[in-house]
Amino acid sequence: MKFLIVEDEEGLRKSIDQYLTAEGNICDWASSYEQGYQKLSLYDYDCVLLDLTLPDGEGLQLLKYLKKVNKSDGVLIISARNSLDQKIAGLSMGADDYLIKPFHLSELYARIMAIVRRRNFNGNSLVQFNELEIDTISKELKVNNKLVYLTRKEFDLLLYFVTNKNKVISKSAAVVHIWGDEADMADSFDFIYTHIKNVRKKLTDAGCKDYFQSVYGIGYKFCET
Amino acid sequence: MKLFSSYNRILSVITLSGLLVIGFLFYQTLGQYLNRQMEDHLYEELLEVRDFAHVKNILPSPDGFDDVIVEYKKIKKLEDQRKFFADTNFYNPKKKHKESGRYLMTQMVLNGQPYELKIIASKFEREEQIKSIVLIILLPVIVLLLILWLVNRVLIKKMWIPFRQILTNIKAFNINQEEVFKPIETNIDEFKELNKAVLDVSLKVKSDYKEIKLFTENASHEMMTPLAVINSKLDTMLQSNTLNKEESEILADLYKATSKLTKLNQSLLLLVKIDNNQLQDKEKIDLEALLYERINYFQDFIQKRNLNVNTEISKLSIYANRSMVEMLINNLFSNAIRHNYVGGFIKIVLTPSSLLFSNTSTQARLDPVKIFERFYKDNASEGTGLGLAILKQVCLRQSYTLAYEYQEGQHYFKIEFNNPS
Repeated sequence: MKFLIVEDEEGLRKSIDQYLTAEGNICDWASSYEQGYQKLSLYDYDCVLLDLTLPDGEGLQLLKYLKKVNKSDGVLIISARNSLDQKIAGLSMGADDYLIKPFHLSELYARIMAIVRRRNFNGNSLVQFNELEIDTISKELKVNNKLVYLTRKEFDLLLYFVTNKNKVISKSAAVVHIWGDEADMADSFDFIYTHIKNVRKKLTDAGCKDYFQSVYGIGYKFCET
Repeated sequence: MKLFSSYNRILSVITLSGLLVIGFLFYQTLGQYLNRQMEDHLYEELLEVRDFAHVKNILPSPDGFDDVIVEYKKIKKLEDQRKFFADTNFYNPKKKHKESGRYLMTQMVLNGQPYELKIIASKFEREEQIKSIVLIILLPVIVLLLILWLVNRVLIKKMWIPFRQILTNIKAFNINQEEVFKPIETNIDEFKELNKAVLDVSLKVKSDYKEIKLFTENASHEMMTPLAVINSKLDTMLQSNTLNKEESEILADLYKATSKLTKLNQSLLLLVKIDNNQLQDKEKIDLEALLYERINYFQDFIQKRNLNVNTEISKLSIYANRSMVEMLINNLFSNAIRHNYVGGFIKIVLTPSSLLFSNTSTQARLDPVKIFERFYKDNASEGTGLGLAILKQVCLRQSYTLAYEYQEGQHYFKIEFNNPS
C-alpha cells in the first residue's frame, strides 16, 4: 500500500515512515503544505496522514483540495489540536479519522488499516492470517472456518494485534487502544494480560496455533514463529 | 440601597430639619414682635389710666376700656416703679372664659395714693394672627418641596435610563459570542464616557480571550508534538529485536513517564479551557444513561478489584456541556475506583437534584479545602493531581455545588445541580 505522510516534524515523520514501510508498504512524505500539495496532485495514495499545522499553511486546506478534485484517498488527520470543534471541522470536511498526538505507532497503523478497509469495502472487510479469518464488519472470527466467540474487547484486541503483526506492542499502547486515554489507572496494564490470556485460550481451544509472544513484560507480539 | 434613595434620604433629613429650625425661629421672632406691639399698647393704656385719674380724680372702672382689663390694688407705699411685662392666663368677663393674655404690672400714685396696677390684654387675636401667618408662609413651602421631590424623582429616573441600559448591555455581554458589547445612544457626557470605557474594556477582554485561546492551541501543539516524537521513537526502539530485559524495563518506565506527561499536559490544557469558558455548547444530557454507560465502561476495573457497586439512579436529564459532564463523571468514577481497596464498595445515588458518589478507601479523611487545589495529592496517588481540580472547575462553571464529606470510613462527593432542567 502507498501512504503519504504530511508532517513537518522530522523525528515523527521518520518513525512513522519506518514503522509503515516494514511490512512492504510504500511511504511518501511531505514536510510542508507546498510539498504536500504537489504530491497530492501528482499521485494517488491509499491513505494520507495529515498534520494540521504546517509551516506554510493549514493542513485542512489540503483536505479541501483533495475533496475538490474528487480524489478518493483516505485521510487520517494527526494533530495535537484536541478540541472538539477541530475534530468536527476535520471530520465534516471529509477526513476519515482524527488521531490526537501523541499516539502509539501501532494505534496509528490500526487506524490506517481500518480506513483502508472501509474504503475498499467490496469483500475487503476480511482480515486473514493463516487459519484466522476476521470479519471486521460483522465482528466475527473464524478459526479454520469455525466461528469462535470473542467479547467486544477481545475482538478489538485481536484485530489490533493482527493488524500490527510482527510488531511488538507495548502494554500501554494496548490499554489506550481498548480503554482510551481516560483509563490510565495503575492496574489497567494487568487487564491486558487477562484479556490476552482469554483470547489465547479461546484461539488454542479452537485449534489455532498460539501466535502471541510475550516480550520481557513490556508488551506482546503477534507473529508466526 | 439605591443611589437615588440614599440621596433622597439625606436630602429629606436636611430639608425637614431646616424647615423645623426655620419654622421655630420664624415663630419666635413673630411672637416677640407681636409681644412688643402689645407692650406698646399696654403702655398706652397705662398712660390713659394716669391721664384719666389726673383729670377726673377718680379711678377708671376696671372694665371701662374696650379691650383691656385694669386691676387696682392699694399698697402701703411705692416700692418698685418699674414696669413688668409678662404672659398670663386670665378670666375674660366679656367672653366669659379663661384665655391667655399679656399684662403690664407697675406701681404708681393715683389720686395721691399708691396703687399696684395691672393691665391685661387678650392675646387670642394675636395668636390667631401668628397661626395664619405661619400657615400662609409654611404651607406653600411644604407644597413646593413636595413638588420638587416628585419632579426630582421623575427626572432622576429618566436621567438614569442610559445607565440602566449600559448595565443591561454589560450583563448581556458574552465573551464567547461573536457580538461585542452594544454601545448605547446618549448625549450625556458622563454616560458617553462610561459607554466608551466599557466598550474599550470589552474589546480588550475579547482580544485577550482570543489570545488565550490561541495560546492554548499553540501550547497544546508545541508540547504534544515533542511528546509524539518521543512516543514514536520509543515505539521504534521497541521493534528492534535486540532489547534485553534491563533495556525493556527502561523502555517501560519511559512509556509510563511519557504517558503521564501527556496526561498532565492534557489536563492542564483542559483546565485552561474550562477557566476560559471555552466549553460552552450546551445540550440535554441523560445522566441516567450516561451513568450506566460509564459503569459498563469501568466494568473491568470494578471487577478486577472486586468492588461492590451499589446504585440508586433515578431519571434525570440536565442541560449542560457534554464533555464537561463526561469529565465530571469520569473523574468521580476513576477516583472512587483508584483509591478503593479490593472488596470495597462504591455507591452512586442520582436524585432529581443531585449526584452522590461515595466509596470506601485506603485513605483516611482528606482535607476538604485542599483536595480541590491543583496538584494536591498524596504520595501514593498515581494521578496527576488535577482530577479533583478539574471536577471543581467544572462544577464552578456549571454553577453546581460540590461538597466533600467523610463519614464512617467513607468518602462522599456530592454534586447539587442547582439548575436541573
